[in-house]
Amino acid sequence: MKPGTKLKSAMCDTEVMVIRSGAGTIECGGAAMGEAKPDAIGTPAPDLAAGTLMGKRYVDAAGTFELLCVKPGKGSLSVDGVALSIKDAKPLPASD
Amino acid sequence: MGMPAGLSGAMLMGERAALNGFAVPGVVSAGGGCRLYTTRDGHVALTLARDDDRAMLPALFQDGELDPDDDAQIVTAFRACSADALVVQGRMLGLAIARMGEVPVSPPCQVTADGAAKVRTGPLLVVDLSALWAGPLAAHLIGLTGAQVVKVESRNRPDRMREGDPALFARINQDKANVAPDLRDRADREALIALIRRADVVIEAARPRALWQLGIDADALVRAVPGLVWMTITGHGATGEAGDWIGFGDDASVAGGVSDALRTASGRIGFGGDACADPLTGIHAARLALERVRNGRAARMILSMSAIVAMALDSERRRNEKALMTDLQAWGAAQGQAFPATAVRPAGRVAAMGQNNAIWLARC
Repeated sequence: MKPGTKLKSAMCDTEVMVIRSGAGTIECGGAAMGEAKPDAIGTPAPDLAAGTLMGKRYVDAAGTFELLCVKPGKGSLSVDGVALSIKDAKPLPASD
Repeated sequence: MGMPAGLSGAMLMGERAALNGFAVPGVVSAGGGCRLYTTRDGHVALTLARDDDRAMLPALFQDGELDPDDDAQIVTAFRACSADALVVQGRMLGLAIARMGEVPVSPPCQVTADGAAKVRTGPLLVVDLSALWAGPLAAHLIGLTGAQVVKVESRNRPDRMREGDPALFARINQDKANVAPDLRDRADREALIALIRRADVVIEAARPRALWQLGIDADALVRAVPGLVWMTITGHGATGEAGDWIGFGDDASVAGGVSDALRTASGRIGFGGDACADPLTGIHAARLALERVRNGRAARMILSMSAIVAMALDSERRRNEKALMTDLQAWGAAQGQAFPATAVRPAGRVAAMGQNNAIWLARC
């Protein structure tokens, strides 16, 4: 997946921007995310509905994938079924 | 309302440059964190000041092959893209980016909530939640009128200017008490909200969602706490998408039109000062907050740095356009030379992080 690609959830309103990615399927609410607007929005399973937060970055344990939430929703983000976790906010610069 | 004794606008605008021996900037900002790039159809300013801003560059250019640490590759990538598309993509990525020719989308100051009046006795209490330059300067200027200022630094996300620019830090944070709560800790967050409820003025520069995610509802506090004047400093305002954009002093100055004015006057591409948006916003915020405190009623005011720059430029144009053009011509011709000399004041007393927790963050 090319960095800068915007992906939409098939299960909720979530949209993410790909910052980094590798081999694997990026999912939201348990379903693969795609560049096209989904025909119908499903419902994320209760255990995949932790939600996404605007502006937060989500990463996998290996640091291969990094997704930026540009529109929040109810589903949880995962890659090949493994949940992604929130990355800490960027530290402030030392001067601007 | 005049400047406190011994200070002037010119001195505050040039204070960082004087302390650090900066030169008049060309396409690289005086502080070095921002740069103007040539694109296919105009110029774009991008600040890469945070440690992992560069990690976003492959996504900005939609190019997985780009080496984000290679400045020559970045310059080439900019030349191939359209300014407008880069700014849209960059703002979505949370980068501090602006283009010459853009018009600020928000007003300089917007009041989003107001509340009851308070009868004030004794000195004002200012709670300063901000970092870097604009917000801390505003709190400092209010402090010079006799207010007690408490600077709040998140233990996990401190104001890195303390080590990044200790000379400026010591001027704009002098004589402030300091508390350092752990904002991940519920009891600390509650102690901070209790401190805010005692304040006359709150100054912060967080994006609305950041406060919200901490459980701080500024508009609700302003409606609930009589007399609370809450100043939110943003890059580009807080309505709609602009509420998620960020801005630092130099890119916000470009968004406010300073580089356009410089090009019109001198034919040169460059920055029109040292992060003008920061000190201009700090001065303006202090003035608005003090006016509002006199009026007595609580208010949430959202300031836009880019719009404040545009307003200041417009006011100079109306005051004396010819003089402004002459100044900008001289500025363009001075690129690379020493910054115009301004008076430097001595450093003040600076509290260590968390030095006054016991006094100001007492648990209820």
